[in-house]
Order: sequence, then structure tokens, then C-alpha cells
Amino acid sequence: MFNKVLIANRGEIAVRIIRACRELGIIPVAVFSEADRESLHVRYADEAYYLGPAPSRESYLRGDKIVQIAKACEAGAIHPGYGFLAERDDFALQVEDADLIFIGPRPSAIAAMGDKAVARATVAAAGVPVVPGTEGEGDLTDEEIIAIAPQIGFPLLIKATAGGGGKGMREVQTIEELPVLLTAARREAEAAFGDGNVYLEKLLLDSRHIEFQILADEHGNVIHLGERECSLQRRHQKLLEESPSPFMDDDLRQIMGQVACKAAEAVDYLNAGTIEFLVDKDQKYYFLEMNTRLQVEHPVTEMVTGIDIVKEQIRIARGRKLRSTQDDIRLKGWAIECRINAEDPYNDFLPSTGMITQSILPTGPGIRVDTGIYAGFAISPFYDSLISKLICWGETRGEAILRMRRALEEYRILGVKTNIPFHQNIIASHRFMGGQFDTRFVEQRFSMNESGEGKEELERIAAIMATLVEHRQHQKSSQIFRKSERDTSNWKWLGRWEKMNR
Amino acid sequence: MKYVASLGDQEVEIEINGEDEIIVDGEHYAIDFHSIAGQPIYSLLINGRSYEALVQPSDEGLEVLLQGQLFLICVDDERQRRLRQTSGPQLLERGEFHMKSPMPGLIISVNVREGQKVSKGDRLIILESMKMQNELKSPRDGIIRSLRIKSGDNVEQNQVLMTVG
Repeated sequence: MFNKVLIANRGEIAVRIIRACRELGIIPVAVFSEADRESLHVRYADEAYYLGPAPSRESYLRGDKIVQIAKACEAGAIHPGYGFLAERDDFALQVEDADLIFIGPRPSAIAAMGDKAVARATVAAAGVPVVPGTEGEGDLTDEEIIAIAPQIGFPLLIKATAGGGGKGMREVQTIEELPVLLTAARREAEAAFGDGNVYLEKLLLDSRHIEFQILADEHGNVIHLGERECSLQRRHQKLLEESPSPFMDDDLRQIMGQVACKAAEAVDYLNAGTIEFLVDKDQKYYFLEMNTRLQVEHPVTEMVTGIDIVKEQIRIARGRKLRSTQDDIRLKGWAIECRINAEDPYNDFLPSTGMITQSILPTGPGIRVDTGIYAGFAISPFYDSLISKLICWGETRGEAILRMRRALEEYRILGVKTNIPFHQNIIASHRFMGGQFDTRFVEQRFSMNESGEGKEELERIAAIMATLVEHRQHQKSSQIFRKSERDTSNWKWLGRWEKMNR
Repeated sequence: MKYVASLGDQEVEIEINGEDEIIVDGEHYAIDFHSIAGQPIYSLLINGRSYEALVQPSDEGLEVLLQGQLFLICVDDERQRRLRQTSGPQLLERGEFHMKSPMPGLIISVNVREGQKVSKGDRLIILESMKMQNELKSPRDGIIRSLRIKSGDNVEQNQVLMTVG
């Protein structure tokens, strides 16, 4: 059994995993790129080793080097976090081949769920409903896809077999535009994943993105920790998640939870994973995909279940039995997470880099912040723009929302632009409060700076503050430009003064 | 000192006379205004109410981020207001343009000579007024047709300084 874990990641998630190791009495080992020498994960770890230059291709994606470092420092296991190498079956295999433990599923399960078309076929065979599409057809040519498309019906989605993150994805409204969009999707998929294979899926309108957290041990136990509502997305990137989902009731949770466990069992799943579903307005649900790793949004589940998922991951990897049975799992209260990105919500969410000059975290009852930044740390252009996760718990959804509102107001990050104002606007929108949203809400029905109550008063205060700032500038510059108040030049005056004091 | 803060098509008149009082559209307010920890973040107590905002300059004015809302605000004092009115949007793209002095003052320097080609935005004259040096920029491309002042001249408000054609 291992007692030292190498964390093959950076940023907030590396810090999160270090915390779990510490609490379990396990020694955390960090790896870092040139840009991350001063990162929090390096400062918090017991040991830290240099990986390579800043670009992830030369550092955090260097599986060979990471395995080498793990062997050299005698770590017994590797935790991949999310992103980077987390869903690469070849890396998981490399780790196993080096006699190390990969804290995650078996390589075969990563491979099965990584190929989206195979994943759909596998879970469909196990009786899990999938979004209607070209599942189980293998790799298709353009001609075959065009022939099948009318049977699925429009609108539909072209998706990359190796896909993720919205790359290689295209919406198709009519058969006429299909050939052009197919070419474009294949080109993008080829560029992003080195694999141009695509499949079709019916585009479900008014649907919600709801996912189930799974835990599975080596002893055949598979449980779910309830759902997370992740419909608030922009360009297929999640921005705000909550647990439970306002659309869920106990009956549906029980049924979908069982289905999620069944999907995991279909690939002989081990460790923590997430089954994503689309749920339409009639509460019909369809399997979307499985994420074979720890999710960014795992804290909302931790807040409502009280289970430390990362510690559970490590225990499972050590061969232990799950500490809870399905009956033990109760969702208590409500949790919301806002992903704080270094992006300018007022300028098309353009990423923002630079030195963090101030960072004041919100605290107080029911607040959790997972972050890897601090004042004096530079946000480099090399990695993801996620810099912090703000999570709030409340007894009810209403309390969680109000708590999030005050926490967002308290949070001060200066030096880079952040999407905190975006979250403040989302939280304040009536549709969000009423739970009236789907996956297209952010892109189609939401705008920043909608006029609301008290807006006029705020405008007045803003005008006053701008004027006071201007006035200060004014005074400063007029001191610079102001001519001598004496009638003679300062030099002359100084000369006289010196003579006088001689 | 009197200012006009504009936000879109709204205008607020603000008079600042001391450190602890301002007059907004004729109404008096007690204020206490601090910048915090050397950052562009400001704390305002106004008639007992507390506000905090990030205030940063941008190309078009000052950006104020307050309670999750971003406001773009242009602040002019009387002098700048007159400056703006002179070089404002009323000028034509064709024909001769007579640059007039927006305020009484002293010509500090003249950066062009007659017959010289200039581009929009070129600095033509530095005019000192109200103890401040103001750059007068060319409102458009053209040629300096006639120059009616030289450095050291005192000029009156609205006096024609040069003609750009």
C-alpha cells in the first residue's frame, strides 16, 4: 500500500488533492512547469519536482517524465486530477506498467468511455437510454452519415468520436447544410484529437444537463452520490453548478441513479466517475457521456453529502471498501458552485492574464473557496482560465443563492479581469432564482447589465466615485503643472535662501 | 471645482469644494472617500452609506465596477467641457476648419508651421490655462492654411488660432 502520492496536475485541483493527502497522512508530491515554480501547489506539497517548460505539452502532458519522477521519489501512486492526462488510457497503462497505482479507473474503462461512440453503444447494450443517433454503427463515411441523418431527424448535432470541450461539434438544422458542416467538424476533430471520426446525435431542445457522481470500489460496490445540475454553460463550458438539481424529484433521482450505476458497471468501473445525462422537459433522460475522473464541480456534491470524494478516491485506490452504502447517502441542504475564471465578461469573455494584485477571499458560514492563486501570483497565458471555485452551502436553495450573492460581493480579485460580475448577474436573474433555465440560457436569454431595481441609484454612485477619482487625478496633475506660486523662479528663490542662511 | 459626469445620455453635475462634502445636482452630501491599499479600489461613505468600487481608466472614460455592474463614465470639468465642445463632433470632414481657443490662456508652444501636412490627432498647440497645459489636437487630416499665433501669445476664448484645410 502506498503512502506517498504524486499529483500530476497544477492549480486549484492540485491544492485540493494535497489537502486530501494531508488529512489522510499521505505525503503529497507536486510537479511543476517553469511557469509554476511559485504556485500554491508547489508551496504546499512535501516534495516538488521540476517537469519542464511552461507549455503543457512540454510539462504537465509529459507522462513519461511524470512516471519517471514518481519512481525516483518513491511515490506509490499518481493522482491525475482533471484535464491534462486524467482521461488518457495510455497514461494510466504506463503508470500500471511502472508498478504504480493510478488513482482512477482501469485503463480499459477509460478507453471504453473515451471513445464516445463506443461508450454510447456499450451503455445502450446495458439498457441505458442514449440520445437517438448513430450509435453502434462504427466509423461512418460522409455518404453513410448523410443517408442516416433523416432517420434521426433535424435539428441534430455532429460530434467528434474522440471529443470533449465542444471541439468538433456542429449543430445542423437542415440536410442541405450537413455536408459542409461535416467537413468542418472532421477538420476540427482531426486538429484537436488527431482523430476525424464523428457521429450524429439528435439535438434535444429545452434540455438540461444533469450528471450523477459515482463511486465504485474493487469489491463490486457501486453507489451514486446524487446529481449535479450543470445546465448553466457557455460554449459547452460549465460556469455554475448546483446540487441537488431544482428539476429533480426523489423518484427520478432514484431511477436515474440506478441507471448511472448500471452504466458504470457496464465498463467494470472503478474509483470516482460521472455519468452525464440530458433531461428533457418531460423528464425523459438520455445518457450523454461518462467522465472517467474527478470533476471540477465535485465540491457541490461534497457539500450536500458530507463525503470527501478525493479522500474516497485515495481509499479506493488503496483497495479499501466504500465506507458508505447507497442507503447511507442523503442529500442535505443545497450547494452552488461558481467557477471564477480570469475572463472579461464585458468583453466577450476574453481571457485576462497578469499579476494578481489583491485577493480577498469571502469567508463566513457555509462558504468554501478552492483556489490556487494569491496576491503576487501571475496568471500566465499557458493554462486554463479557471482560477478559483466559490462554493456556498445553504439549508435551502434560497439560502444558498443569497449566501452566494453576499460571497460574490465580498470576493475581491484585482490585477486580472474575472467573471465574478457575470455570476452576480446570473444569481440576480429571476429565471435563475425560479430555476427556469436550460443549457441555452446563458447564450440565448441572458445579458449582462439588465436594468434592475436600484440601478439608477448605483449609476449615481458610480458617477460620484468616477468624479472623485478624476478630481484626485486633477489635483495631482495640477500640482505638477502648477507654476511657482512665488513670483520668481524656484532656482532664484533657492539661491537667495541659501545666501540668506549662509 | 465643478464637474459633469456623463453616463450614456445622462448627466450628473457634481461640485467638489472640500474633502468631505460634495454637491450633486444641487444637493449637499457628506462624504468620506478613500483609496484602499494602494489599489484602484475605492471606498466611499456618503451620508452614512458605504460603497466600494473598482475605478480604472479606459479609452473612453472611467470604468467603474460596482456591485457587479460595470459603468463607463466620462467626467469633464468646465475647462474640458469647453475643449470638447470646440473639437467636438460638429466639425466637418471637408472644407476649412478654424481652430478656436477653447479658453483664455497662454500659447506654450506651436508644433506646426504653415503649409505643413497634419493628420488627425497630431498635437498642434499646447495652451496653458487654469494652470494646466492642454494639448490641442488636429481634428482631422489636412494642411495648415494659416497660423495666427506664435508661442508666448496670450489668447482670448474663441480666438481663431489656425485654419486647417
